[in-house]
Amino acid sequence: MSLATLTRAWEPMSYGFLDGSAKREVRRKMLKAVAVPGCQMPYASREVPMARGWGTGGLQVSCTLLNPKMRVKVIDQGADDSVNAASIRKFLARVSGAPTTTDTLEADLIQSRHRIPEEILREDQVLVLQVPNPEPLRPVQPNMSIARQMHADADYGRMWLQLYEQIVRAGRVMQGASYPSLVNGRFIMTPSPIPRWDVPKLHMAKHLTILSAGREKRLYVVPPYTRVEPLVFDDVPYRVEEHGGLTCTRSGATGFFMNEIPQDDGSSAYEISDSDFGVKSIRKREGEEVAFGATWYTGGEMEGQGR
Amino acid sequence: MGQPLASPSPSPAELRSNAAFEALLWALSRPGQLRALEGEGAIVEALIDRECTVYATDPAVARGAERLGAALVGAGEADYVFAGALPSTALLGELKQGSDLHPEEGATLILAAGFTAGDRLCLSGPGVDGALSVTVGGLPAGFWARRAQLMRYPMGFDIFLCDGAQVMGVPRSTAVEAF
Repeated sequence: MSLATLTRAWEPMSYGFLDGSAKREVRRKMLKAVAVPGCQMPYASREVPMARGWGTGGLQVSCTLLNPKMRVKVIDQGADDSVNAASIRKFLARVSGAPTTTDTLEADLIQSRHRIPEEILREDQVLVLQVPNPEPLRPVQPNMSIARQMHADADYGRMWLQLYEQIVRAGRVMQGASYPSLVNGRFIMTPSPIPRWDVPKLHMAKHLTILSAGREKRLYVVPPYTRVEPLVFDDVPYRVEEHGGLTCTRSGATGFFMNEIPQDDGSSAYEISDSDFGVKSIRKREGEEVAFGATWYTGGEMEGQGR
Repeated sequence: MGQPLASPSPSPAELRSNAAFEALLWALSRPGQLRALEGEGAIVEALIDRECTVYATDPAVARGAERLGAALVGAGEADYVFAGALPSTALLGELKQGSDLHPEEGATLILAAGFTAGDRLCLSGPGVDGALSVTVGGLPAGFWARRAQLMRYPMGFDIFLCDGAQVMGVPRSTAVEAF
């Protein structure tokens, strides 16, 4: 045995920023998270050059998965061009040499904050969602040790009570984003603060979804073809945002999730939230040949969603 | 300073680990589908370090894991159990299954199997679109029945079956029916 067999060659930095032991730990935890869908797996959550709470969880998963052949897309609330998305995309490309894109169809890895693209993701695509608060039970049980016991026991009565109280008080479920959902009939997870519009996209999806909370040091997974059922009462159906009838003022696209833009006269204008889909719609309207993928929603309705 | 950052290139070891993990992740999230993987050594390289406990029947695998810092322990305490060709189902009863509080502490079992001839299995559960029928040979009689009898979800162990350069994943969430 010589020293050379025990060490590795010198490198100016670890490929993909994270060092080997960090990657191996994230890998081990990701595999366990796949095996138990929706269950929050604790992990070490190393330092990355970004403040905790700005997507460090998603970043660590992306850094672990990336290789020079994997094309990466980063979105923040649907937009490819917001500061957070642009910075993360630039960082990922710089530390891994991976090519980047804004087109959902071209991407192999999509890191996202709070949205799922409108075009249906394929089997070979991986969606990484940044999660600020991974614990769906936190509003009803702030003690995380007790919350873990409640997950262990599938003791979810308080979640139902919370929804019931909202309906009694307000006449409807008040949960706007991160709607609690039952994964594979066993674990309740928060799908990260995606709008209600996006939650049905996770149900029996073709793609793998990895949700990672860097500050809270937990990750969980929704494997492909896995049941993701928003918590609803039989007689109070799940309702997505009423955006089906809205038209984007810039691209003319109708029937997708919109950003509301307040106007001076008190009215609202709407702009499509999935920015690349909007860009493609504008280019198409201007006569360019643009490839669109099939979308989850058609005409503002999702198949099987008229419950 | 700018140059190495501008064009980072992975070392051969990094590429191997990255590809091996991608295969394992795909295999486990799509049970029953085969992925290319260069044997047990690739699993060791991608996942094992000094934070792991390992049990391996093949001395070469054990040496490899130990060199990476893993503690070699008995099958009952190991996070990663490289059991090779399994003679009987006795080992399954010894494996760590984690707890309801920490299901991630369940073991990962890596076995040698054959995908060309053997029992016909029907897989269903997360990662399987409906049901998938696969052929798996080289496992002891009653293996799948014993597995189902031992595990109480979410506790359990996860299985990677290796045949030469191919791997199949069977996580604890998969229901396996043997014909």
